[in-house]
Amino acid sequence: MNRALGLGGLVLGLGGAFLGICAVLVGLRSGRKELVRLSRPYAGVVLFGAVLSVVAMQRGLITRDWTLKYVAEHGSSTTPPLYNVATMWSALEGSILLWGLVLAGYTVAVATKFRKRLEDPLVGWAMVVMFVVCVFFFALMLTAANPFRGNLPPPGYDGPGPNPLLQNHILMAFHPPMLYLGYVGFTVPFAFAIAALVTGRVGEGWLVETRRWTLFAWGFLTAGIILGSWWSYEVLGWGGYWKWDPVENASFLPWLTGTAYLHSVMVQERRGLLRVWNLSLLCATFSLTILGTFLTRSGVVESVHAFSGGAVGPILLGAFAVVVLVSVGLVGWRGDQLRAPGRIDSPLSREGAFLANNVLFAVFAFVVLLGTVFPLVVEALNGDRLTVGVPYFNRMTIPIGFALLTLMAIAPVLPWRKASGELLRDRLWWPAWAGVAAVVLGALAGADGVAPLLAFGLGGFAAGSAVRQLVLATRRQGVRGLVGRANGGMVVHLGTIVVAVALAASGSFIRTAEFELRPGASAVIAGHTVKYLGSRSVDRPNRVELRARFQVDGGKVFEPRLNKYRLTGQTIGTPSVRVGPLEDVYLALTRAPGTSNPAVGVRVIVQPLVVWLWVGGMVMVLGTVLSLFPGRRRNPLDPVSAPPVPEAQEAGPEPSGAGAVTA
Amino acid sequence: MLVVVVVVLVLAARPAPTKGVSDQRAFALATQLKCLQCVGESVGASQAPLAVKFRQEIDRQLRQGRTDDEILNYFAQRYGRQVLETPPSTGVGALVWVVPVVAAAGAVLVLAATFRRWRREQQGVAPSEEDEALVARALADRRDGDGAAS
Repeated sequence: MNRALGLGGLVLGLGGAFLGICAVLVGLRSGRKELVRLSRPYAGVVLFGAVLSVVAMQRGLITRDWTLKYVAEHGSSTTPPLYNVATMWSALEGSILLWGLVLAGYTVAVATKFRKRLEDPLVGWAMVVMFVVCVFFFALMLTAANPFRGNLPPPGYDGPGPNPLLQNHILMAFHPPMLYLGYVGFTVPFAFAIAALVTGRVGEGWLVETRRWTLFAWGFLTAGIILGSWWSYEVLGWGGYWKWDPVENASFLPWLTGTAYLHSVMVQERRGLLRVWNLSLLCATFSLTILGTFLTRSGVVESVHAFSGGAVGPILLGAFAVVVLVSVGLVGWRGDQLRAPGRIDSPLSREGAFLANNVLFAVFAFVVLLGTVFPLVVEALNGDRLTVGVPYFNRMTIPIGFALLTLMAIAPVLPWRKASGELLRDRLWWPAWAGVAAVVLGALAGADGVAPLLAFGLGGFAAGSAVRQLVLATRRQGVRGLVGRANGGMVVHLGTIVVAVALAASGSFIRTAEFELRPGASAVIAGHTVKYLGSRSVDRPNRVELRARFQVDGGKVFEPRLNKYRLTGQTIGTPSVRVGPLEDVYLALTRAPGTSNPAVGVRVIVQPLVVWLWVGGMVMVLGTVLSLFPGRRRNPLDPVSAPPVPEAQEAGPEPSGAGAVTA
Repeated sequence: MLVVVVVVLVLAARPAPTKGVSDQRAFALATQLKCLQCVGESVGASQAPLAVKFRQEIDRQLRQGRTDDEILNYFAQRYGRQVLETPPSTGVGALVWVVPVVAAAGAVLVLAATFRRWRREQQGVAPSEEDEALVARALADRRDGDGAAS
């Protein structure tokens, strides 16, 4: 029943997408508008099919329908309800199903948003691209990654449940859907980019159309990444939140190229420059989501998230190659139309800064991509096995991070076209003092070492610039000075700076120690006293929990746990954290007390400012939301570049500051 | 100026040197080693039996007064190059360090050349008096009509 329903949904989705392609193409070619307009109902059919399949899968999971192979392999009768729902995205086939659902949702959203312009060739072609991507994923689900394979369960069968790591924390229910909303959301601007290339309307129209879609996807991707690192901090038990794991990198790569695009797109909107570059960035972002899926879903790299998946790997790699070839081919074909109508006058200008930003982000993405695939390449070349781990990524990316912070401080105060040294000195005066203050504050708080102090200083500098812009904008426009792309963007910058400072502090000043404590004994680390009070065992349907009780600094009691899962016999720890605004005290059990040795093994990690990572992430998302609101409408005749004569400066407060606010 | 910035950045990015026998140094070393029994975890992060054994071995060698490099080499010789989280700086492995630096330098050079070309091309073209008058008139109109609006 569930199987038939699910397969029916997949076939419906595939058919709907295929017919959608045919209808739009035939309609565009023959000029029959009623055919082109069919894209909306067909998008509805695709979504209906996807929902049907997801309902069937959820129904199968909830009713423990062991005749579905996926449920038999990843479900279990003892999984708690929330994690039972989340089981759908805890393995390969189900996660592709979630991808299909989100993709179908975006397809319908595009068709609805542009319902009055469906016959416009640009929108028509964008719908074709969306449908093609739909066809690919639904066909993948009907072949190599079929979530509805049948199974003949023996009587009394019960499944093993999802990977214990994935049923250990509530964030597991939210992190993957958020991430997918981000990943898949980049399909929309990609579709419009391809449509612009195909129709030859490579001007700025399609950019403006997809601006909010890109921001929306970017916001979800950011939220997904932050939630993912929070999950890893709360679950994995080593006090870390980011370890340059291939799957983390796979989500980070499109974030990097997407961030580069969000910046360089402003240059094209304002000046018509960087057209090829922007198209390439969008194509790169989309193809990196496919490559990321390949890397993590094909079993070629090892990772906590990787699911091995047989034939899925080559298919995804093929899709990646096709996306790259098609994009490069189209850009080459339209090359003559993509030539920029102007040039950048001076490197010391807003557009020059965006260019520098893009070089940095591109190099950043390249480093991450190279580090991720390098072991594979070397092994294929000469059979050597080597590891590219955390030390490599840290050493290569931290300088880029510093450079980005510097740019974040200088760029927001730069006018378009050209800036003079005096203007820069004038506008950077307060931000620079904010940077000095941050260094002094850091040093007073006991921070030492060049890297963290430099991070604090640059962070303060950049925050000064962002606050300056926000203050000027709100003084001019009141509350509306907080919305719109430029001002919302400054809020995102503030969030990013908070994250950067938190990264620098928590990474540089982490203190770790392991202890074996008998009941009543205490240990001291970094000025904190941890006293072991005793432990108890709690029975749950799916696991046995050993809960050890620790008193931290004579105050509240914390209970890190060791969970032994009944069906798989795996033991997974759940750390317990005393969260503080300045310092987290993180407790993770390493060893259960036995009968011969009543001591408990515990790892204690003291890490400063960790909580600000999540706060900073939330500020970034908040800033993205603010950016989604329309900003001040700019009169096209408003002076936006450096004023030609001195009295122009008196005419209004900072014309170039106003220039940052775009309609 | 640029050179100074680059040097500072590179120096700053290097992990702080670790001295003396302490938990901190042992954990720093453990995070330099990959846990061969687990997926994507360092010896410092993992509780797998092999990782625990590695950490005990690190402690033992630290007490014998061995240097960081000696300890890392010991593990590399015993368990193969892949046990080290840091890729090698010689042979094919060094490419992972060199290629991004070369790519970044190339990008900067190309940009610099482009800017230079643009500046050279620009020198021939100057706005005529007529152009400037047009701009001035448009700006003046804006300011008159704007007044209370902004």
